[in-house]
Amino acid sequence: MKTTALIEYRLGHRATFIQNEWTVWGLPSAEDKSDQNTSADLPPAGKVIVPFSWWLEHRDTAEITRRTFHSEIAVWFAGTDDVLAHAAVIEKSSVWPLIAVHFPIFTDGRGYSTAALLRERLNWQGNILAIGDVLIDQLRQMSRVGFDQFSLRADQNQTLALKQFSLYSINLQHAWRDSRSQLIQAAKHDCLEDELQAA
Amino acid sequence: MYQYDPIDQALVDERVIQFRDQVDRRINGSLPESEFRPLRLQNGLYLQRHAYMLRVAIPYGLLSSKQLLTLADIADRYDQGYGHFTTRQNIQFNWVELEQTPDILAELAKVEMHAIQTSGNCIRNITSDPFAGVAADEVVDPRPICELLRQWSTLHPEFAFLPRKFKFAINGSTEDRTVLLCHDVGIQLHKDSNGEIVADIYAGGGMGRTPILGNLVHTNLPWQKLPSYLTALLRVYNRFGRRDNLYKARIKILVKALSPEEFARQVNIEWRQIQESDHNFTPAEWQRVAQHFTKPAYQILPSLDAAAVAAQADTSSRPAFQRWLKRNVRAHQIAGYASVVLSLKPHATQAPGDATATQMRAIANLAQAYSFGELRVTHEQNLVLADVEQSQLFALWCAAKKSNLVLPNIGLLTDIIACPGGDFCSLANAKSLPIAKAIQERFDNLDYLFDLGDLSVNISGCINSCGHHHVGNIGILGVDKDGEEWYQITLGGEQGVNAAIGKVIGPSFGALDIPTVMDNILKVYVKERQSDERFIDTYRRLGIAPFKTAAYLNQKLSTELV
Repeated sequence: MKTTALIEYRLGHRATFIQNEWTVWGLPSAEDKSDQNTSADLPPAGKVIVPFSWWLEHRDTAEITRRTFHSEIAVWFAGTDDVLAHAAVIEKSSVWPLIAVHFPIFTDGRGYSTAALLRERLNWQGNILAIGDVLIDQLRQMSRVGFDQFSLRADQNQTLALKQFSLYSINLQHAWRDSRSQLIQAAKHDCLEDELQAA
Repeated sequence: MYQYDPIDQALVDERVIQFRDQVDRRINGSLPESEFRPLRLQNGLYLQRHAYMLRVAIPYGLLSSKQLLTLADIADRYDQGYGHFTTRQNIQFNWVELEQTPDILAELAKVEMHAIQTSGNCIRNITSDPFAGVAADEVVDPRPICELLRQWSTLHPEFAFLPRKFKFAINGSTEDRTVLLCHDVGIQLHKDSNGEIVADIYAGGGMGRTPILGNLVHTNLPWQKLPSYLTALLRVYNRFGRRDNLYKARIKILVKALSPEEFARQVNIEWRQIQESDHNFTPAEWQRVAQHFTKPAYQILPSLDAAAVAAQADTSSRPAFQRWLKRNVRAHQIAGYASVVLSLKPHATQAPGDATATQMRAIANLAQAYSFGELRVTHEQNLVLADVEQSQLFALWCAAKKSNLVLPNIGLLTDIIACPGGDFCSLANAKSLPIAKAIQERFDNLDYLFDLGDLSVNISGCINSCGHHHVGNIGILGVDKDGEEWYQITLGGEQGVNAAIGKVIGPSFGALDIPTVMDNILKVYVKERQSDERFIDTYRRLGIAPFKTAAYLNQKLSTELV
């Protein structure tokens, strides 16, 4: 499955549409029939996001080693994948150009914790791409916990999508993208106090 | 009470804009119902049998006169002139139009209220002790922690789509008036040896079809670390809670499956990694919030004894006034003050927890005149005026009597806790309100009710247990058998520090039999009780057997024989 455009919302930047170069391979749904024999098949040519579990099994083959070296292989985590159980592998694998996290349905919230852990615990610095049932009404919360790229479900309204990131001017929790507004405000207040005292 | 700062206000204002857009898209068809449903639920909007219902949060039960006046206006303008106070310190409007909900939310935002996360698989409205700040047995005033956690949980990005709903209760007293152990997370606040506020965390309690009391998973957690600890706890639940079966998705099932010890261990492993992080509260945040929960401007007053208080009433009113003092008035931390419970349980004339717009306005005025303009909602579905001068009690009684709010039945048999049931709720298997009405009609004699003393009766229209029937001394659960409504009775439930889950006595009964069955059960108590024994004490001493035998005595009962 390959969509033509992705939303990219990097830290400190505005959200924008970019050209998609990646194909997601091995999705367990009607979107992509290729999952029938993923263990035997090889992913198609070009830049491909493969299931993490498949990558674990095949990462040492000559083909995958070569393509990984050329930054053509990325991985996606399913809802059932426990990223912490594979912490050692993930922390060493800065070879992937990006990590994708799959939402089988938008109400399955496991992907939020997966992204938060990748950022917070495993210190993943590259892009995290949301794939699967990605709807505009969840973009903002996804972007807060660690996602910075989004592959929208095909029927979603692209114009409305970009507006979702600026719906709120404040946040009440500390998260990857931003801290609690109360903490930011307190820090500003302290700075002001210091300046006043210095003057 | 707490007052929004510009950050809090921005959040509710921007939430209205977001929801208005979502409703517009639902109406123009670009957002299908299946995708709108979780969004509207996270804003408290249910689709019931006859109409949409909007559930508005009353965080930890605290309400100002001004807010209650707004709720009265909403009841008049957008509903049928009344609201229903729930067992989770919310208020529900049963007859709203989808198109109008953004306008209602905008009205609420003007008085610092919202409906955020009053439903959905997310962290729900945080509940607490309705006597917070005034209870004589209070160790820590829980309100600043409640408010800090209200903010922390509001639109939490990581936990908006948990496996199932998630309910917090917070208690700071020796007694427990929060049903703490029946919550997904119960937070018991106390002080450590240095006088610092710390929390004991209970996890995995809940009612529903698998009622279970929460287990202690952490002790003496410094209050500042609540956000990081709760993040760790919710993260374990979010990742490993069951999502394959709706009925096994609550955290209690995970805690039970792993064992409380193993669950606590996994949470601790996660917490160790983040416990020093920015998740935690700062002293400055405490200061910002706690300043709103200082004591009101109490007068220095003499403490009045019972005789002096009773003497306020004229001779003809005195017996009724004294009954009210006995059941509806509570001791206060401050000399010369008392807390008053206004009964929303009139006998059979109104559903438990219902208040008309006219009553709401009257109550708002009473709070303004007698209790610093504030009131509290109890999970028993009554309202509390927390800070009333003892010398004003008779004046308050006279004023409240005009609005039918002084029935002296708090904690008595007719102070029934009931969900809206099959009359409104699309989840219900059976009606609750006609059962409550029938019981209130049958047991209308105050002398008899006073003689029975403390006795809790809880009615739920389905196993979701919104009427908390599992912890009622007498619990009544509506069940569906082949399209007919039947009622199962449990005995021996209790809330408080001795919380217990009731036991089912046997086959269920038809609706018409319930008052008679109750009567049979109560006769055993009256016959067998020793001196001052409460119903629950007699039940514990004798066990279920004599009550069970009595319940099925009457051969004419249409008892279901399965």
